[in-house]
Amino acid sequence: MRISEQAKQLCRARILEKAAELFAARGFDQTTTRDIALAVGVAAGTMFNYFPSKETMAMTMVNEALAQGREEFLTRLDGGESLEEELFLLIGTELRRLRPLRPFLGPVLERSLSPFPRKSVCPEGETARQEHLECVRQIMLRHGFVTTPEDVAGTIYWSLYLGILASWTGDQSDNQESSRALIDYAIRTFVQMISGAHRGGDHVR
Amino acid sequence: MSAETTRKRGIEARAALLDLMPRQEEAARRRLAELVENVAAKRPPTTSFSRFWILGSLQAKVTCAYLAYWLRSRWADAEERERLKSETHLKAALELLGTMGYLRGAVMKLGQMLATFPDALPDEFARLLPALHFEAPPMHYAMVREVFLDEFGKEPHELFASFGKEAFAAASLGQVHRARLHTGELVAVKIQYPGIARTIESDLKNLRLLMQPMRLGEDWGNVVAKLAEVERVLLAETDYLAEASFAQTVRDSFTPGEGIVIPRVYHDYSTRRVLTTEHLEGVHLEEFLDSAPSQEMRDRYTYLMTVATMRMLYRTHWLLADPNPGNYIFMPDGRLGLVDFGCTRQLSEEEWQMQVEVEDALLRRDEEEMERLVVKASLYDSAEQMGRERLELIGRVIRWQLEPWLSDGIFDFGDEDFFRRGMDAMIEVTRKGFMRGMPVHIWTTRFILGARGVVYRLKGRCDFQEIYRRESGRGGEESTMTSRNEASPPPEGEGQGGGR
Repeated sequence: MRISEQAKQLCRARILEKAAELFAARGFDQTTTRDIALAVGVAAGTMFNYFPSKETMAMTMVNEALAQGREEFLTRLDGGESLEEELFLLIGTELRRLRPLRPFLGPVLERSLSPFPRKSVCPEGETARQEHLECVRQIMLRHGFVTTPEDVAGTIYWSLYLGILASWTGDQSDNQESSRALIDYAIRTFVQMISGAHRGGDHVR
Repeated sequence: MSAETTRKRGIEARAALLDLMPRQEEAARRRLAELVENVAAKRPPTTSFSRFWILGSLQAKVTCAYLAYWLRSRWADAEERERLKSETHLKAALELLGTMGYLRGAVMKLGQMLATFPDALPDEFARLLPALHFEAPPMHYAMVREVFLDEFGKEPHELFASFGKEAFAAASLGQVHRARLHTGELVAVKIQYPGIARTIESDLKNLRLLMQPMRLGEDWGNVVAKLAEVERVLLAETDYLAEASFAQTVRDSFTPGEGIVIPRVYHDYSTRRVLTTEHLEGVHLEEFLDSAPSQEMRDRYTYLMTVATMRMLYRTHWLLADPNPGNYIFMPDGRLGLVDFGCTRQLSEEEWQMQVEVEDALLRRDEEEMERLVVKASLYDSAEQMGRERLELIGRVIRWQLEPWLSDGIFDFGDEDFFRRGMDAMIEVTRKGFMRGMPVHIWTTRFILGARGVVYRLKGRCDFQEIYRRESGRGGEESTMTSRNEASPPPEGEGQGGGR
């Protein structure tokens, strides 16, 4: 029997939903694919047709949240933002969307987004990287900077971004406000670096 | 900028730094100046983080110079080897100043507090005092929006009818924006830089660790107690709801006819990190002075400032721990606006008792009792233990602080000789390294110095004793607390001994 596309989508959504619940309740590492299959009420084999691993499930959630964040980011722009502000707004909006996943995000991001060479590259992690960097590229283009994800600026940006994510996932402060200061600092570092200008601005008085 | 101009600027900066250093012992002075200058001039790897780079501003250099000066007093008489060791620590301290808390956290304030006072002219000094307030880095509007989403779940433009994207004033832990409520009122919205409390905590922790090996001798325990005190007050400052509640208390202690305005707090638009208050029209001290105000106006504002601070002290036992000219708004109709009650310190029962005892002894002119209290405030058991020199010098500072309490009639805060005497005594105390005392005196000293700096620049006068008697209900035959609410500022020109 062939199941409809709609039923497939529902099943996929249900897997993600249950997986998110279990990850949040038990932690990512403590949850097995078997646990998830049990909770969803499908056979493990069926589940693998949708997601080959729990990493893929988690990164799919991450990618969906990030994509929503980027979409929302575009609606928040009023056109008068500086490069720093746009980047800040992008990351801020993305992280707000990621927030519900935060309790189990640490190990997931560490494994999927690591810049170190790995045996198996997580395709969803690679998608996350490409899509985020593409958005950054568009922002930079709007402000007169041309860059590709593979050039030095792109690499440095990605390192700073990973640093932000690492800090944010472990940030115990209210609303992760410590990370907000870090994002501000990291973005200023990046913009200063690529513009090489002596900007900085004094404090309003 | 040409190389020549750069060089000239460098020389000027160097000269300015040298001016801030103690004048005796030329060699040590030069070496210190070089040290401070080298660290100050060193650029961070990312070239131009002036806004974050604590040593990037002149203000920060002055703070460093202060700190250097203070530390230096510790080894003025030490052997060469000791000096070199201390210098290493100093260098580390200055470098730490540059890197710790890119948020420009508590360090700026600490610099001032631990700080000492240079051989500046009274005018320079009066300008320097308030110039040394530490500030959080500026926030762009995108950051402000994120803070609002966290605090209110709404964007500023959703919450307010209009909201100024650019800050119009800096606050010690954040910045202030103008906005308009949907009901039409113009308000000032103070927004705290995210995570500043943690920065303060970590900066102070670092500073404590760093100062540990400096061997501050018998006073080390006292320094630790003072750092804890500083941390406590600064952290309290990060809670805007507490500030709102204090502002309300102060506001309730004035009546509209008194000429003193405490802005109303809008609680629905305030959280721990965002404080919305009524916006007061008016100018700050500099602008007020630029308008060449008459002596009558200067006196009037001096009167109002005195009433305001005394009301707070005697009614609520609170000190404005960090008074600066930005706290005063000179309103177009001649009223005085008081804003920003973030950095305040309430005296404990014991500390208040001490204040009362000192005033009593002073007003009775009981020298023996005064001496006992000076010894007690300096945390010694006896005058012998404290030592004559220290006793005399600390006594001199305290007597200077209390001088207006003993002066009949109009007191002239603009008197250069009076101001100079106080500064000289403070400089001497610091030079000798007589820093030991009750932690609360960090704030009483700041409170008095901050306020004196402002009224000195105002060149203002008032009948201090009369205000004291009325506000404290003590120290005179008539206790007129009951009539306080009818009190109004003196009409311009009345009995003020002829304005200029």
